[in-house]
Amino acid sequence: MVNPLMYVFRPKVTEEFEFSDTELDALGSETKAKINKVFGHSLAIRELDSGSDNSTELEISNLGAPHYDVERFGISFVASPRHADVLLVTGAVTLNMAKAVLKTYEAMPSPKFVIAVGDDACNGGIYKGSYAVLGGVDKILPVDIKIPGNPPSPKEILRGIFALVKNKENEN
Amino acid sequence: MMNSNKNTVSSLIPAGLQLREDYQIPVNSTLLATQYATDLIVNIAGKKPQIRRGKNNEYYIPLGEEEFLKTVLSLPEKGFVLISLFCVQDFEESPDFTLFYVFRLNGFTDVFAFMRCVRMETTSIATVFPSACWYEREVRDGFGIEFTDAFDKRRLFLHEAYPEGFHPLLKSFKNEKIQSVENPEEAYTFKQVEGEGVYQIPVGPVHAGIIEPGHFRFSAIGEHIFNLEIRLFYKHRGIEKLAEGKSPSACVPIAEVISGDETVANAVAFCTAVEKIAGIEIPTRASYLRAILLEMERIYSHMSDLSGMITDIGFPTMTTPFLIFRENIFRQNEFLTGSRFMRNAIDLGGVKKEISGEALSKLNLYLKIFVPQFESAITAVHASSSLIDRFSTTGILKKKLIAPLNLTGPIARAAGASYDVRLDHPYGIYKDIPPERSIKTAGDVLSRFEVKAEEILNSVTLIQKFIALIPKGAITAENTGFAILNIPNGYALSMVEAARGQNLHWVYVRNGLIDRYKVRTASFCNWQAIEHAVLGNIVPDFPLINKSLNLSYAGTDL
Repeated sequence: MVNPLMYVFRPKVTEEFEFSDTELDALGSETKAKINKVFGHSLAIRELDSGSDNSTELEISNLGAPHYDVERFGISFVASPRHADVLLVTGAVTLNMAKAVLKTYEAMPSPKFVIAVGDDACNGGIYKGSYAVLGGVDKILPVDIKIPGNPPSPKEILRGIFALVKNKENEN
Repeated sequence: MMNSNKNTVSSLIPAGLQLREDYQIPVNSTLLATQYATDLIVNIAGKKPQIRRGKNNEYYIPLGEEEFLKTVLSLPEKGFVLISLFCVQDFEESPDFTLFYVFRLNGFTDVFAFMRCVRMETTSIATVFPSACWYEREVRDGFGIEFTDAFDKRRLFLHEAYPEGFHPLLKSFKNEKIQSVENPEEAYTFKQVEGEGVYQIPVGPVHAGIIEPGHFRFSAIGEHIFNLEIRLFYKHRGIEKLAEGKSPSACVPIAEVISGDETVANAVAFCTAVEKIAGIEIPTRASYLRAILLEMERIYSHMSDLSGMITDIGFPTMTTPFLIFRENIFRQNEFLTGSRFMRNAIDLGGVKKEISGEALSKLNLYLKIFVPQFESAITAVHASSSLIDRFSTTGILKKKLIAPLNLTGPIARAAGASYDVRLDHPYGIYKDIPPERSIKTAGDVLSRFEVKAEEILNSVTLIQKFIALIPKGAITAENTGFAILNIPNGYALSMVEAARGQNLHWVYVRNGLIDRYKVRTASFCNWQAIEHAVLGNIVPDFPLINKSLNLSYAGTDL
């Protein structure tokens, strides 16, 4: 029989991790513990751009880069809304995207949650009052968490995801 | 047999256009631009034009309808490249609408804006200048002007949700929420390709990855792409209208969100135009700082592409170093300006915050460590035969497309063009400290990878030079506040070499407020290259080709 403790104490196969960030690691393990409990060990996220300026996309994709690597915390970005627990929406919803946003949300299985990322997704931001946008994501979808920022940093986005998981735990 | 209706730009390109990117002007280079343009128009149209010098190396040439048609239609064979076409309502004393056809010509640092007065109808030049097709559709959507003989009259940025007869850029429309069309019908017709074994693949607007929305309609035969038509503008946020009626200072944040990863480039281009109108000369130190930030932006943007190209062939081990570099550059940006995307760093009159000598030497130190690490990652890429196999000969962009479509930036330089705004229309500190040109000729994914890798190293060298030479002094022009408050009525055009290529901004100020703000980023033109670069390639190579061209949806959709 394999002793599971062996995996913890044996020397690592990979080289020393050079960007260790204790704050991020703490946040990550807390998130992971809650995901294990509330979402059954994995949280699947589908990202949807409803009219951002593309900086938020870059920060979200950074979550998967080596400095952050959120997959180790049980978070994965999936290719289809049909596989997603969470819709991570960026951008003030444009008139041209509104229909696609609704369709994407409808394609998700329940229970489903929505996180708005960035000032524009939270309340329309700089585009407030423009003919071309509806405003924040909450104009069209039920939003569970808002993460403000222009754009928010990867850590701030992770904090938002943590907040969602924590809220759902409290609701249960 | 393949049947296709000829309604897209792509069907026009091979029609024997005599355009050459390397066209040399057959005149003495010391001849002034005004004189050259005057002689040209006199020769063609037999009438002497009234040429006005603009405020930033641009010339305005109003033409009557007859002279316009004679002159502009003969410009391609003279080597002129159409770099923008936009409309202004109630321009100065002119009634109705004025169309600006902006051209550049190799050998001249100045650009030429031919002006044409129109009412609700005019004629198209898209059969002579293929890139005019999107511009004319854009003008039609914005102002309701009909290009009666245009071969493509479909809407561009106004999708089905917008009601008929709605034209947001008309002065009579005050920016406000509008009633969108409920359950609109899909009215957009794509080019139909018929024949045995041809099938369509619709992709988007929502894609599988963490990327922006857009629609791609492939017609494929087996694995091979026979035709591609793109439909964009899903992210149309109304940037140009948003700027109208605002003070110039209030528009800097708007310029910053045109495209998130071109924050500095667009802020610098907008501020330069306003500074020219207001007569502000920015201090030398501010010029240096702006250029340092512009090059930092180029480095992280190119880094995204390098990692993205390798990701798209499914090679995560090789991608990792580039992702690490990019994050390190983001952290340097934050250290220098307080923002990972260098938001809120550029301001009218110079830069917002001082960057200390100490901070600059720290950056210098990081770059010293960065260069050998980056070079070794690139060496590893070249050593992978499976990677080279996927990159080489994939998605070839032909040089003959560069002038007709005004393709710019690294994708054009990877296909044999030399054009670079920093060198061909020098601005700021690039006048004194120019960058190296990186040119490759194959035009495939590998060339684009190599040009971008080389440009990262060139940017590092530039930054190191800037840091070595930057003088002490003010970071904002002393008279900025006063000059902006008392800004005269006027207009200026400015161009910046963003990471993706030539970004063009035109600002028109009236009574201290922005009357018209026209933005044309490099992506607007470069997107049209993808319809050509993918032809004959296999569908699975599309993501790779798309990434290697790295086009901004936000910067195109505005």
